[in-house]
Amino acid sequence: MKIARIDFGAAGGPQVTYGPLGEYAGLGGRAMTSLMVATEVHPLAHALGAENKLVIAPGMLSGTTGSMSGRLSVGCKSPLTGTIKESNAGGQAAQVLARLGYAAVVLEGKPLGNDLYKIVINKDGIQVIVDNSLKLLDNYPLVAKLRTEYGDKVAYMTIGSAGERMLLAASIACTDPELRPTRHCGRGGVGAVMGSKHVKAIIIDDAGAKMRPPKDPDAFRDANRKFVEGLRKHPVTGEGLPAYGTNVLTNILNEAGGYPTKNFKSGTYEGSSKLSGEAQAELEIKRGGKATHGCHRGCVIQCSGIYNDKDGNYLTKQPEYETTWAHGGNCGIDDLDTVAMLDYMDDNIGVDTMEMGVTIGVAMDAGLIEFGDKEGAIRLVEEVGKGTPLGRVLGCGATVTGKVFAVERVPAVKDQAMAAYDPRAVQGIGVTYATTTQGADHTAGYAVATNILKVGGDVDPLKTAGQIELSRNLQIATAAIDSTGMCLFIAFAIMDQPETFQALLDMLGSFYGITMTGDDVVALGKKVLSAERDFNTRAGFTKHHDRLPRFFYNEAIAPHNQTFLMKDEELDDVFNW
Amino acid sequence: MTPSTPDQSPRFIPAVRLNLQLPTDQLEQFFPLFQRGVTVPATIGCSLKNLLCHQLAIPEEYVSERITTVFCDNCPVDDFEKTIIRNGSRIALSAAMPGLVGATMRRGGYYAALRQGISHLMQTAPAVVEDGSVTLKLFNLLMTELGPNLLAHGILLKTEELLVLRQGIPELKYNLGADTDQDQTLLAVSFLE
Repeated sequence: MKIARIDFGAAGGPQVTYGPLGEYAGLGGRAMTSLMVATEVHPLAHALGAENKLVIAPGMLSGTTGSMSGRLSVGCKSPLTGTIKESNAGGQAAQVLARLGYAAVVLEGKPLGNDLYKIVINKDGIQVIVDNSLKLLDNYPLVAKLRTEYGDKVAYMTIGSAGERMLLAASIACTDPELRPTRHCGRGGVGAVMGSKHVKAIIIDDAGAKMRPPKDPDAFRDANRKFVEGLRKHPVTGEGLPAYGTNVLTNILNEAGGYPTKNFKSGTYEGSSKLSGEAQAELEIKRGGKATHGCHRGCVIQCSGIYNDKDGNYLTKQPEYETTWAHGGNCGIDDLDTVAMLDYMDDNIGVDTMEMGVTIGVAMDAGLIEFGDKEGAIRLVEEVGKGTPLGRVLGCGATVTGKVFAVERVPAVKDQAMAAYDPRAVQGIGVTYATTTQGADHTAGYAVATNILKVGGDVDPLKTAGQIELSRNLQIATAAIDSTGMCLFIAFAIMDQPETFQALLDMLGSFYGITMTGDDVVALGKKVLSAERDFNTRAGFTKHHDRLPRFFYNEAIAPHNQTFLMKDEELDDVFNW
Repeated sequence: MTPSTPDQSPRFIPAVRLNLQLPTDQLEQFFPLFQRGVTVPATIGCSLKNLLCHQLAIPEEYVSERITTVFCDNCPVDDFEKTIIRNGSRIALSAAMPGLVGATMRRGGYYAALRQGISHLMQTAPAVVEDGSVTLKLFNLLMTELGPNLLAHGILLKTEELLVLRQGIPELKYNLGADTDQDQTLLAVSFLE
């Protein structure tokens, strides 16, 4: 494996160099991106300037025959939050890039002039090509145009017009097995950083490349088989997620009173059952779409789907729970077709669906449109796509929009919008929102496998202190799993089934020819988090940034009539290990 | 914390009872209703376990292993036996859920601390056992698996709910006849193999 660096500021135009892994040997995914950014990027660099780097890294097992190993991590200093950022996505890119032998591709420097570039990566190396014909194309037409030149047996990473305009909510799209730009490194404005390098598209062609060979092929095959069996027999990964996708959570969060409604004014929404995963799956099947679909080849869980319009034509991939919430209940919209249209528009323009949904909710609070105004919500996202002054404000996310329109209730931490879980109802999630290195990020503490990892030891679930300890342990476990390149959803099966967790360790061990233990995984997670925290500290972040917006402390939410109760000193204890 | 629930539910089963036998594929017509919640006549003042295992005849093993996410009046439940149902209680049942919050909501789960403050308080004080009703919601996989049990037990439907339901169930259209002017109907359904 090697690392490729493309210096866009080099004299005479972009220059490609190839080097060994060096100090980054053995790293993948988030571990690779975060340690590289923490080591090489000046913490006070402007996120859209020459000093920032965009690190693209497949996971430790990407490019192998291992199941669920297709997550791609992208890291940089975030223009949205000012913190270090890792954003990951499914799709085909990670597998293809790893098979070509790249542990990381790093975009560095900043080009002079206005030329727009595409990067072609294949077995012969990396080419950087000027292609100004791609200017301001959005993701769907962009990929369609690229396919006429590069065909259907490659993976594409692209930015839409939002990335080109360097809007702070801009994402990087990765194509799925059908070559649709539906899987996004969405959070933190990573698309804007790619845009700042003037890179419109990365075409990854693994023709002639082979699967990465394990050190012990028999042991790897055996471990992978056990791992897949474990995923298939677990009720979440084997039944619930394939049948309904992540949107199965709508009914649950609503019932728990933790479904943020109309910009976090209530914990329940009267229209939730119309937005549920159950209703969504039924509609998808009825219209000839799919309720079960994988975002990359080799996925066993298949939590995605295909959402067709009323005429049975493809509209978008199955909107996930957070998207359906952000554009749905959070905006008082109870119509799945509207949510699906907004999901398509976000993917096409290239913006984070969560950031955009929360931003529209803030705009509704500002009085730009009424809550529940379906056409108005579509119109506002159209403004983003057109790059109008209003669209540029909205495309820079909830915090910027809140400031421009003087809205006090902006549900964001470190300027990144929250996801679909109200921290007043689920206080433990609030601990993670407040303290994560990434801004309010629901996946930062997502790897529900801390019990099996025994990270931090056993926790009494009925003690208040458990919330701090659990959040800490979850963040460590998540940083570790994000580094493997495995989909986070494997966490449910490895939480409940020790033999499935052992199978994962055996996959890593047999691939690299090492003995891997739970302690090693925990150590990796801590190493990643420590590097991220250190970067943020050097970038000027203090404990005072590890707080929720004041309205969560002052406004009780129905139905539990509860505010966020965690004390500051308790939050400050999360990273004491 | 347990939000109070107004005791406005009917305590007695109405006289009008409608029995239907439907093809199995008609079960999905009830799914929107299951998600919003249906009124179920029940003996109240007893445990949630009693409601599920005895009154609705759901096998105990299924209850303990499959129904892993439970809410009573918006509060996640950890113990079936120490949750006493009251008249008008709103019960929601679900299979295991994804996500950290899915794991957090799990009954008696490892991450229950993360929802401290909204968990259903366990009750041990004796309550008066009498006739009443509860609202029952079924989500995700349980709609298919428990729907027949629930419908065999019988659900109380308001006229407007019946009118919506019969748009998708021709047999209901036929059977409704002149009874649609009743305020509430107890609908019991069995399914053809």
